[in-house]
Amino acid sequence: MNLSVIWDNLDYLLIGAWPNGPVGGLALTVILSISSAIASAVLGLILGIAMVMASQRFEALLATALGFFRAIPIIMLIFWIYFLLPVLFGITAPQVGTVVIALSLVGGAYLGHGVAAGIRSVSSKQWDAGLALGLKRWEVLRLIILPQALPRMMPSFINQWISLIKDTSLAYVIGVPELSFVATQVNNRAMVYPIEVFLFIGLVYFILCTACDMLANRTTKWAGLIVR
Amino acid sequence: MLAPEYIEWLLSGFGITVLLSLTSCVAASVIGALVCGLRISQSKLLRTFARTYIDIFRNTPLLVQLFFWYFGAASLLSSDLMIWLNTPRSLSLGFMTLYWPSFEFLAGFIGLTFYTSAFISEELRSGIQAIPQGQHHAAAALGFTPRQIFFLIILPQAIRVSLFPLLGQYMNALKNSSLTMAIGLAELSYASRQVETVTFKTFQAFGIATVLYVLAIAILELIGRHIYKRHILLRGAF
Repeated sequence: MNLSVIWDNLDYLLIGAWPNGPVGGLALTVILSISSAIASAVLGLILGIAMVMASQRFEALLATALGFFRAIPIIMLIFWIYFLLPVLFGITAPQVGTVVIALSLVGGAYLGHGVAAGIRSVSSKQWDAGLALGLKRWEVLRLIILPQALPRMMPSFINQWISLIKDTSLAYVIGVPELSFVATQVNNRAMVYPIEVFLFIGLVYFILCTACDMLANRTTKWAGLIVR
Repeated sequence: MLAPEYIEWLLSGFGITVLLSLTSCVAASVIGALVCGLRISQSKLLRTFARTYIDIFRNTPLLVQLFFWYFGAASLLSSDLMIWLNTPRSLSLGFMTLYWPSFEFLAGFIGLTFYTSAFISEELRSGIQAIPQGQHHAAAALGFTPRQIFFLIILPQAIRVSLFPLLGQYMNALKNSSLTMAIGLAELSYASRQVETVTFKTFQAFGIATVLYVLAIAILELIGRHIYKRHILLRGAF
């Protein structure tokens, strides 16, 4: 074991070329994770609610569309978005944006089902009671159903976010300088210490994922207490 | 349209994707069942070992694991062994010829197998937890040893319960095999990128690759439904 290769490149692994260049390394991984976690949660909530509230035919259509996003590898989706965004909308997509869009779409597609299942897990009598009190359907959803359903959905959100942290490494394929990419750069430069480099990177991801898991579990318990 | 030559690239990439996914899934199922056995064993030491194994492989990205095996293994192994591993050779069986896989394929196989095995062992464990304790006691009363109870009584039932979650993991393995393009294995994603670079026919190259992935996933889904109808619905899961 020769850890000097880690020490000598620690700055580069943690923040990339910043402040003399773009942010990279661990910092960029965290930025990618947080932005796609938020975007995928919003998208998942919208899709899940749409599936529950929409007509049966629209729901089937939506389920098929979500099925498609879950059936193709994220790498293919990144390729598609990277290629299609300029063609369809005439914008040259920044690579970071491409990755966030891809991860949010996939995350949203998975979470949509979790959200729909969470809403359906609330007894239908609650709907009846709310409607009997004169509330509109959307009001029942917002005031009665969602406050009960959201804590139940937390486990699927947490699992999805942990997957997201790992999936940010796929930004590597289009050259986004996040943690995995800078690690291969460091490895290519030194070339003699691949074991040290990739064990260290693995450890960093491991800590990130475990921390996310622990933090989320604690928040869920806390939120559960508040709701009760 | 794409010239036949490039269609062939894509199809051979698809062949590698299927081969890698199939072999990894078989190996990962065996390892996953073993790790699951350790995870629920009586010995605390074995349980801790299994838990650590699962945590390590599940909480780090597959891409980093692939880099570790591809670059790391090469630096750990002796150069003689590396030369031996990298030497092309083939085994003729008369009706077909088996070729020695590339080092990229071996590294991809090892990475995908370990990664998938951790998820499979957890799916099996939740399947096992769904089996009533009474089954365990009944088998013990009939004189089965603990190992026989696990492999002959509990595991077959647990596999039925976790059929769809397991299938989901096989689908994930198929999709995850695309990451091996990062270590230079010429599977489907790699081939589509290569065809795109050479022909500039982005839409066709990515389109065909996407259709092939969706097709493979759909076939897995159909197989799952078939097994469910034939073997579980008719006999009852429990």
